[in-house]
Order: sequence, then structure tokens, then C-alpha cells
Amino acid sequence: MTTRTVTIANRGNATYQVEARRPLLDALREQGVDLPYGCKYGGCITCAARLTAGEVDQRRQVALNNRQVANGYVILCVARAVTDITLEIGVESHDRLYRNPFLDPLEPHELKADIATPKER
Amino acid sequence: MECCGPGYASPAEAIKAPREKLLYTIAIYTGTGIQKPDYLATVDVDPDSPTYSQVIHRLEMPGIGDELHHMGWNACSSCFDDSSMARKYLLLPGVRSNNIHVVDTATDPRAPRLHKVIDGAEIKAKADLSGPHTVHCLGSEIIISFLGDAKGEAPGGYLHLNKDFDIVGRWENSMGDIKFGYDFWYQPRHNIMVSSEWAAPNTFMPGFDLEEVGHLKYGRELHFWDFEKREPIQSMYLGEDGLIPLEVKFHHDPDSTHGFCCAALSTNVIHWWKDEAGKWQWEKIIDVANEPHPDWPIPVPGVMSALLVSMDDRYLYINNWLHGDMRQYDISDPHNPKLTGQVWMGGLLGRAPVVNGVEMAGGPQMFQLSLDGRRLYVTTSLFSTWDNQFYPAIREKGGVMVMIDCDPENGGMTLNPDFIVDFGKEPNGPSRCHEARYPGGDCTSDIWL
Repeated sequence: MTTRTVTIANRGNATYQVEARRPLLDALREQGVDLPYGCKYGGCITCAARLTAGEVDQRRQVALNNRQVANGYVILCVARAVTDITLEIGVESHDRLYRNPFLDPLEPHELKADIATPKER
Repeated sequence: MECCGPGYASPAEAIKAPREKLLYTIAIYTGTGIQKPDYLATVDVDPDSPTYSQVIHRLEMPGIGDELHHMGWNACSSCFDDSSMARKYLLLPGVRSNNIHVVDTATDPRAPRLHKVIDGAEIKAKADLSGPHTVHCLGSEIIISFLGDAKGEAPGGYLHLNKDFDIVGRWENSMGDIKFGYDFWYQPRHNIMVSSEWAAPNTFMPGFDLEEVGHLKYGRELHFWDFEKREPIQSMYLGEDGLIPLEVKFHHDPDSTHGFCCAALSTNVIHWWKDEAGKWQWEKIIDVANEPHPDWPIPVPGVMSALLVSMDDRYLYINNWLHGDMRQYDISDPHNPKLTGQVWMGGLLGRAPVVNGVEMAGGPQMFQLSLDGRRLYVTTSLFSTWDNQFYPAIREKGGVMVMIDCDPENGGMTLNPDFIVDFGKEPNGPSRCHEARYPGGDCTSDIWL
């Protein structure tokens, strides 16, 4: 069993060992971390957290646009730790998750992956 | 007519029903940062009661993360002739969890209790559906619109439940070329159902990316169904006049073919009817202009997310969630609505930042009208992720329920100064209220055969 270390920066840098193949939401909740969630299939961002170090595999998420991805957001219900990682969790990490779409439009490359166009150089 | 089934013999009989003393509204913690279940709140609306204008009971759901939103009854006036049926169970779908909660409101109307949960995973497995929205009873059975398949992709379909709340399967025989689902209403004497379009769950659940409208990720059509054959027969492309067509309502009069839809982003009311040649027609009858905002480079759209027809079919009520006003139109001539009332409450334009002493973080959103047409209860939260984008202060302030006194004789609406329920002061922290229903029926619960 391959394990990774998850550090939760905004919970006093608490650390948890998780199985690399399991979604972070399940693996952390089982160890008593109180995390929000909704759809549990990567479609709704309720469980979003911010990755500040390391790498995750979240290919199954379909909820984040590319700006949210660029800002470090990960969907814990489908994301798996590829390396040891550091997260900020919960609503305190959501300051850049939400934006007023009329005041702060997305560039074409910042849309969700299925409709984004490559950034022009 | 002598009978003992649920509801009323006709809309005219419903108007004469006793005044509501309780109402139910859902309240959410999903997406708020508070790790508590969503709940069904009982609000005391009896002005002679010592707990008037207060939440008197809270029924928590079994888990967190449902995002309760809309509700519907197990039975309505469509079962008026059936003495074996009763308006006893309120169904509360969780948009995000896919769970359907069946709540017994009859054993103790003040303190509803959970009767059954239809597991969201079972619905995905048996019917390939997710993202439940509108609940209508169908005689003794129930159909629920779902906006996506099990993977959250459009167009979803309709779940059919029997009266014991077991899954029968998919209700529709075909979705035809329909791209998206949302709300629906049916008018049995004309064998017609109308459905509208929001977006796929994977599109709207994370929040609103305006650019996705241009990428055709949001709806702009209405669909007319052969109700008995359970398949769509005609779609109406509304174009720029009908961006994101949300709620649909027929006249309550079961002989009428007139109905209405609010196009949220276009902030228009679409009216449809069957013409003398038997052809379904549509027109735009209300167009709310975008409003300038001191801090915005572009004018603010109203975002008309809901509409409601009074039980006498005379008045249409609509909201402008971002502007902050509720409106009443006289639709005696449905082709020519006349604005007869307007109330400001919250919104982004700064017209009414405080209502009855409560600071508003939100605008008029869902509303429910009394059967006699005199009391309109209005709540302020739309959907957790969308609230967080447009009204971030709602996290600390929570949602609010206000009451508007309506004058059905002369038209007009005024904010009631004695009623306000501040969900910012809930025991577990600020929650957000959305749809409301009354135990004895209201203006969005009944269909007559």
C-alpha cells in the first residue's frame, strides 16, 4: 500500500497518512477531519480545498474552471495524492474560489477544460 | 362536491380555504462553511400566536451536503376525488446529494418527521439520474425532474415514484432533442406538459460562469410534451429573449392553456397559449431592463429566477434577485400585463439594504402566496454557490424571510412591518432559506384534473 502524507496548513499543520489510490475526501474524513462535501463525484465544488504544495490527480473533476485550477483548487471527493501534499481546507480557503462573473470575466483559456481554448502567446 | 381526498374541488374553492398558520421552508448549510445538515424549518405565520414570525421547529436531514432546494407534495387537488389519498408527505430532494427525503408533515404539522430517504446512489443506479429539482404528484404517483444523468451531464429526465415512494423507473418515454431540464408543470385537460431549461448539474452546481451561456451550456428553450404519451412534441427556441428559462406555471384554471415562464438571465416573462387553430404560441410580455450600478462597468441584469400566479389567475408575481425588487402584474389580459405593485428588499442596487431592522445579504428569490392572494412570503437565497458569488456577505448574515401584503382587489403590494424571520440568527449559525410550502396548500402545489 502506497501512502502519502497530507498536511493541513489551516488546522495547525496537522498531518495524516492516506492511501495514494483513495480519494482525499474519504481518506481524511475517516481519520476525523471535518470536511464539507456535496455530490461526491467531482461535479459541484462544495468540497473544494486549496493545494499549496505537492501534486494531486484530479482528472475526474468536472466542476472547476481553469482559473480555479490555476489558483490551486482541488476537488477532494475525486482527487488523489500523487506526492505528499499540503492543503488549506474548508470555507477559509475559498477566497478565490468565487467571483462575480459580471465584474471579473474569464479569459477563453480560463474556462472549464471542455470549452477552454489554448492561451494565445 | 362532497369528497374527502386532498386539496380542493377547484381553484375557487381553494381561495376560500382557512388562512395558513404554519409554513415550511428549507434552510441550507451546504456551501456556507457550517458543517451541519440542511433542514426543514417550520415557521409560525399565525399572527395570534406568541411565536408568530419565528422558526418553531427544525427537522435536520440525516447527513450534510444535500443542498435542499425545492419541495413537493405526495398528493394535491389532482387526487381530490380519491379518499385513500392525503396531503401528508412533503418530498425534499437534495440537489447535490441526489437523496430524496420524504417527510411526514401530518402526524404533527408543527414538528414534521422524516418518513423515508430514497438513497441518491439507488436513484443513480436504477434510473441514471442526478440533480433533482421539481416534484409534482401525478394522481397518486409522483414525478421529479432531474437535471442530469448519473454523471451530472444534461439533459437528465424524470424519476417516477409510486405512492409508497418506491422507484418505478424513468417516467418519460423519450427526451426527444431536449438539451436541458429544470422545471415543469402540466395541464391535464389539454394533455400538455411544459418543461424549461437551466443547465447540466456539472455546469450550474459549481457556480455561474457567464461565458458558458455563450458556449450554449445554459438553456434557451421551452418544451411542450404529450403528457399521456410522455414524450416531447414541440420545442420553442426563445433565443436572446429567453436565456435561462426557469420556472414555468400554467393558469390554475384547468381549462386554460395560458402559461408563463421567467427567463432568468434575459429577465423577461414569456407567455404561451394555444391559439384558435390549436397551435401553441409564445410571446415576450415583460422585459425588465438592466440597471446601472455605480461600481459596475456594465448594467446589472435583474435575474428573474421565479414566478407565481395567484389562485384567481389575476396576478403574476416575479422577482429580480440582483436588482432587489418583487413585482406584481395584473394579467387579467395575459397578453398585456400591467405593473400594479413593487417592493424593494435587498439587492445590489442599494434601494433597500435594511428591511424591518435586518441587514439584507441577498435579494428577493423564492416566494409563496397564500390561497386568498393576500400574503406573499419571500426568501433571499438562490443556491449556495451562486449566493457566494453575488452576495458573499450572506455567509455571515444568512437568509431572510419577509412577508408582503398584497391587495387582490385593487392591486398593490406593501412590505409587512411586523413579520421577518432572520435565518442569520439560527442556533447553528447563519443558514439560508429558499422555497416555502403551506400545509393546506398554496399557489404552487395544486393541479386540477
